[in-house]
Amino acid sequence: MAGAPIELLQRVPLFAELDPGELEQIARLFKERRFAKGETVVMEGSGGAAFFLISSGEATASVGGAERPTLQPGDYFGEIALIDEGRRSATITATSDLLCYGLTFWEFRPLVEGNGIIAWKLLQSLAKKLRAAQAD
Amino acid sequence: MNEVLPLDKARDTALFGSKAVGLGDAARAGLPVPPGLALSGEIVEAVAGGDESAIESVVQSAMPLPRPLAVRSSAVDEDGAEASFAGQHLTLLNVPSTDELPSAVRDIWWSANSDSAITYRQRVGLFTRPSVGVVVQALLDPDVAGVMFTQNPMNGADERVIEGSWGLGEAVVAGIVIPDHFRVDRSGEPLERKAGLKRVAIRAVASGGTVEEEVPDEMVERLCLDDGQLQELNQLALRCEQVYGPARDIEWAFAGGTLYLLQCRAITRTGR
Repeated sequence: MAGAPIELLQRVPLFAELDPGELEQIARLFKERRFAKGETVVMEGSGGAAFFLISSGEATASVGGAERPTLQPGDYFGEIALIDEGRRSATITATSDLLCYGLTFWEFRPLVEGNGIIAWKLLQSLAKKLRAAQAD
Repeated sequence: MNEVLPLDKARDTALFGSKAVGLGDAARAGLPVPPGLALSGEIVEAVAGGDESAIESVVQSAMPLPRPLAVRSSAVDEDGAEASFAGQHLTLLNVPSTDELPSAVRDIWWSANSDSAITYRQRVGLFTRPSVGVVVQALLDPDVAGVMFTQNPMNGADERVIEGSWGLGEAVVAGIVIPDHFRVDRSGEPLERKAGLKRVAIRAVASGGTVEEEVPDEMVERLCLDDGQLQELNQLALRCEQVYGPARDIEWAFAGGTLYLLQCRAITRTGR
């Protein structure tokens, strides 16, 4: 089937307010991407326009050289790049063959621009993230 | 348009990209291009997205091609995109069968959307949605391959400059050998023959992909082209100039005694 499994998307806080029909619209935009063991998935400081969900395999993450918890199936990274075209904040390296589903900025943006309900729910998710960050 | 066409039918760079149309021009002019297909940017996107009818269309169209396959990107979105994105977009040599073709096409789509490609786009102010066509061709098993400039790129002299090495031409393009260096005048007369150090050759392996193979000692410094082959290359240079105009940068290969044209583009800079 084309696109990402809905149950993977449901674990992403950015999409938490979306109903199953809205999630399905987004799921269809994802494309499978495979990384070989040892491959650098994203590099801290580089540009990025894709968000990835891990379907199988594991990856390590590091920020400024400091190790972060291992990424496993169901984990995700790069969701803010879907919105702000910003720099990667971590380096992620596949420690086994890695199957991901990826969504790019260019596919995501037209969907959000054309659907006010999805856009509003994403804003609510971002607002929650902002409050959580301020509380830390 | 959601299209897969034989290379000689690919005419629209906005659909298929400049590499595919350049090879299409060569095929239409009767130049010795390996058989192949051009995939439009739209069908590449559909295959990458797992669209079953697009995958079926690509796989069925590729069935008649001799295997293994070489799968290359053909950027379609900007003027001069091929040159701009050289090294950013992926080439997959030795895709063993059509079963592996959809994942090869998907990998090429992702190479245009990779972080390194995106970083490059941001740096040069091209932060727009990438579109990438694909060229699928029969992969040759060359005895010798390399590059040729139809005029000297260092000083603009009206002579052919040829660099060659054993096996696939990627050894020359990627700079992993010191290739043999030749200069040939417009009549095909050799002006210079300088042996390089060709310690490795890139070869296709049966399971897919390529391997760097050690070259036997006696071939490391032996010239990889004889005068007859230099004459054939000179004839190819003449034909390419007739079709495309002067100052061309050509990738070529000899396989089974036959000379093939793999790519022909404008020389981007000369010393003149």
